[in-house]
Amino acid sequence: MNALERLLADKFLSLADDELILAHRNSEWTGHAPILEEDIAFANIAQDELGHATLWYRLRAALTGEEPDELVFFRDAADFTCAQLVELPKGDWALTIMRQYLFDALEMVRLPLYIESGYRPLTETAAKIRPEEIYHYRHTAAWVKRLGWGTVESHRRMQTALNELWPYTRQLFAPLPGEAALIEAGHLPDLTRLEMDWWAEVEPFLTAANLTIPAFTKTAVISRTDHTPHLAELVADLQAVARLDREAAW
Amino acid sequence: MSDSSTRDTQWPRFELFQQERPGKPHVNVGSVHAPDGEMALLNGRDVFVRRPECHNLWAVSARHILAKTAAELAAEEALPDELVPDEAAPQLYRIFQKTSQRRSMNYVTHVGDVEARTAVEALELAQERFDAANVFVWWIVPVAAILVSSEGDVESMFQPAQGKTYRQPQEYRTFTQMQEIKRTTPS
Repeated sequence: MNALERLLADKFLSLADDELILAHRNSEWTGHAPILEEDIAFANIAQDELGHATLWYRLRAALTGEEPDELVFFRDAADFTCAQLVELPKGDWALTIMRQYLFDALEMVRLPLYIESGYRPLTETAAKIRPEEIYHYRHTAAWVKRLGWGTVESHRRMQTALNELWPYTRQLFAPLPGEAALIEAGHLPDLTRLEMDWWAEVEPFLTAANLTIPAFTKTAVISRTDHTPHLAELVADLQAVARLDREAAW
Repeated sequence: MSDSSTRDTQWPRFELFQQERPGKPHVNVGSVHAPDGEMALLNGRDVFVRRPECHNLWAVSARHILAKTAAELAAEEALPDELVPDEAAPQLYRIFQKTSQRRSMNYVTHVGDVEARTAVEALELAQERFDAANVFVWWIVPVAAILVSSEGDVESMFQPAQGKTYRQPQEYRTFTQMQEIKRTTPS
């Protein structure tokens, strides 16, 4: 593995970890979503994100030889590289839908840029994921719009969720150590461009959904090795059964 | 009992119609509750067409459907009289029939359209124009009330399901191991 491949492997791990942890958080609604139809729809979205995590872990595996199951079930929480946005507890339905919307909007803008990557496996994987993300975005955007304009209560909850989540979105556009070399090599898109595209998608949409984007408070960008206490709790839950018997076949 | 505890707080019911492939008729697959047609289409996609093939989906609010069973039609001397204003403009109605009682999952299928001024008039015309001998249920739906998924939705809404073999039981080792155990265990 050369230096660029090492960096790519780290990038794929962060993409995979984001999707895995978000999928797990979403799956916590299964059986508890506000209505039966949404229970099914949201479990489906959770399963899609888990499928995407698998694809990113496989891209890493192609470079490092690490088994995805090994990374998911037998890695310590401290070694996960997910963003803090996806670690936060599921909260109320407003928080879950707002988080999913902000993340889906990122997928909507970054996948077309990944498709243009000079690294062929990334191009192919992004092309495979993109149709599903178009659907996710449509689904979560539909909810945000309706709850933003719904009742006083639904609007209040959506605005509260946006206020709470907004500071965490900064980390999504922070480079990994060494990522500049991947951008330079044409493997990954420029992060400023990505953030501008995301802003151009999210800002008019949320405004039209009757919501106000909070001002960023000046905080240092958080590293993907720094986690909230919620992650360790989630990972313990996720790994409990697999760690009962390492040799068991599933 | 207070008023609020008995009030139906459910969202309106929408019926979903799935077309498996271009050229095949739309078949009713069931219903969802949704605040509006767009959400009905989205939820209908997740509830009904995640695994089977789908090319096109219709959603229609149940209150726009005139439904009559053959027994009801036979019992009534004539369909209820309607006030049809002279200036009522004709519109297109889609005609659905259920023609089998054999399987529990057999819902109404789209058989064609008629132009009429009211749903009742459309039903009368449908009985004349379509084979009515083996029809157990008729549904009459104004075209204007149907929300249709677009051609552009096929890739994002319907095609992904086809690549998801991991959702089938054969993809799970537990399932295949159970088959193996059954196969190798002497009965």
